[in-house]
Amino acid sequence: MSIVSVRGVVRHYKQGDITVKALDGVDLDLEPGEFTTLMGPSGSGKTTLLNQIGGLDQPDSGTITIDGTEISKLSSSQLADVRLRKLGFVFQSYNLVPVLSAYENAEFVLLLQGMPAAERKQRVMETLAAVGLQGMEHRRPGELSGGQQQRVAVARAIAGRPALVLADEPTANLDSKTSESLIDLMRSLNSEHGITFLFSTHDPRIMDAARRVVHMKDGKIVNDEKKA
Amino acid sequence: MTRLFSLALRNLFRNGRRTAITASAIASGLMLVIMMVALQAGQYADMLRIGISTMAGHVVVQADGWQEEREAEMLLTDAAEVTAQLAEAFPDAHVTPRLYLGGLVTSTRSSAGVAVRGAVPSAEAAVDTLDDKLVEGEWLADDDDRGIVMGVGLADALQVEVGDRIVYMGQTESQDEMVSRMFRVRGLFKTGGVELDGMTGLVTLKAAQELIERDDVAHQVALHIDDPAESPAAWAKAEGLVAADGRDVLEWPDALPSLVTFIDIDRVSGDVMMAVMGLIVAMGVLNTVLMSVLERTKEFGVLMAIGMQPRRLGALILVESALLGILGSLLGTIGGALLTAYLVAYGIDYSSMMGETMEMEGLVLSTLMHGAWDFDRMGAYVVGTVIVTILAGVWPAWHLTRLEPVDAMRAA
Repeated sequence: MSIVSVRGVVRHYKQGDITVKALDGVDLDLEPGEFTTLMGPSGSGKTTLLNQIGGLDQPDSGTITIDGTEISKLSSSQLADVRLRKLGFVFQSYNLVPVLSAYENAEFVLLLQGMPAAERKQRVMETLAAVGLQGMEHRRPGELSGGQQQRVAVARAIAGRPALVLADEPTANLDSKTSESLIDLMRSLNSEHGITFLFSTHDPRIMDAARRVVHMKDGKIVNDEKKA
Repeated sequence: MTRLFSLALRNLFRNGRRTAITASAIASGLMLVIMMVALQAGQYADMLRIGISTMAGHVVVQADGWQEEREAEMLLTDAAEVTAQLAEAFPDAHVTPRLYLGGLVTSTRSSAGVAVRGAVPSAEAAVDTLDDKLVEGEWLADDDDRGIVMGVGLADALQVEVGDRIVYMGQTESQDEMVSRMFRVRGLFKTGGVELDGMTGLVTLKAAQELIERDDVAHQVALHIDDPAESPAAWAKAEGLVAADGRDVLEWPDALPSLVTFIDIDRVSGDVMMAVMGLIVAMGVLNTVLMSVLERTKEFGVLMAIGMQPRRLGALILVESALLGILGSLLGTIGGALLTAYLVAYGIDYSSMMGETMEMEGLVLSTLMHGAWDFDRMGAYVVGTVIVTILAGVWPAWHLTRLEPVDAMRAA
């Protein structure tokens, strides 16, 4: 069964008197364990599609099913629950909570899930170790480099064991060395832990690492390339 | 709920400066309100104490109708018996019969109107402060039926001094004859009150009774007890003992209705003022909470994106507001209690601006104003402050629940 099923999704925005067709009848399926990237020029609809799949925005028409749950018609509260249980997010500008430490940022989703304290602590420590942040648990975002902050964001995204991690331009603010290291991390999380990743990116290194590259243009999927 | 609570606490502690400033604003407002309540309570207590001691008692026995009409002929008969009964039933209390007369006093040089209080001087001295205000001469002896103690203003008007003679002229109780009687000035008091100093003279009860040619009468027999809180019980006991046809037995709120009304109105106007102050504090808190929400809009968008329910975010803001309110109120209560303790012990001295005394509602009050504890009102303001700060968080919390995560994350 597909972990993501997008069918005929349309999303239009009004910009003054002009209607922008951000998504114009998109169909997409993702299978568990995929490491897929959405490529395309700015304004092609990559981020809009990620937001739709992530339940952060709702389509004008069409359906989106995540891990068996059709999310297009859910209330904001039900959507929040889907995001909490099934999805992880990594954003371009990290978007960590500035007053929380690395540990607390990674722990937050587990707190919301209601995980017991002992199990939560073990999970957070394991996750921070998996992203290479041992010893930095108590640093706040302002005390970490960009690459380290993005690792915390990855830890937060995967700590709750989501069905799918959505990453919107995760390497856009990082230098090349840090980007490569982060891509290696996500690739190994995918291959070793079977976490499904969907990226939107311009970064050719992510495209090289991806096993499937979906090309978008003008709100449509124009090419879907699966590597051997 | 515990998680929400710990999250809210963490947010407050990690934005320490903002929390400290807001909590200080709440605390300062509440401190000021508690101080004002204490000063009001002190002033009311003074007014009641002085009003009760000079104008009535904790319980008064009067002729039926005298309370409303104040007609000279509305006399309480058997005043001695009523006095004796009350004195026996309340051995630790003071019982003072009083007879009020109006008339004219003349000296060799001048004349003036006078309000004569006939009373038992030693009993009066025990409950009133007139004897403490003597500036010349001596207090009246209980058997000095030819002596008078008067205010300095009246003495000035008559151009008399201690030892001089004056003549009182008035009507008998039946109002068909004029009477006159010579008194010798024994002492002069100065209270600062225009009416007391300028018009009042104190003579013995017996002398006053003789002036109206009636034995064993008074307008009022007043019972003064040590603990004002016991006055309802004292009233019930007194009423059981001396109530009879033609007699009113009143507790002080009924005996001093205009004073009680004045205090009630003053208290309400104080409440209105403090409500305005509460509104100002609330706007300050609303501003802070709203700023903190707007400042963290992106952060809240992220929290919603990773799965936090919008209503839990709203609840988080309310809990933050409530904790701010509780912290501010706690500090304000401690500060207010310390201020009140100071005001109770030392008071504020306004004498350099207002002189030694001031007159209010016919009562002469000291300008050294002491505070008093009013736990009910102070407690109500503490609870009110917490409620107001929670309410100040409602709009920002509601605003949050309306946000879409994508829009929120776009916020700068």
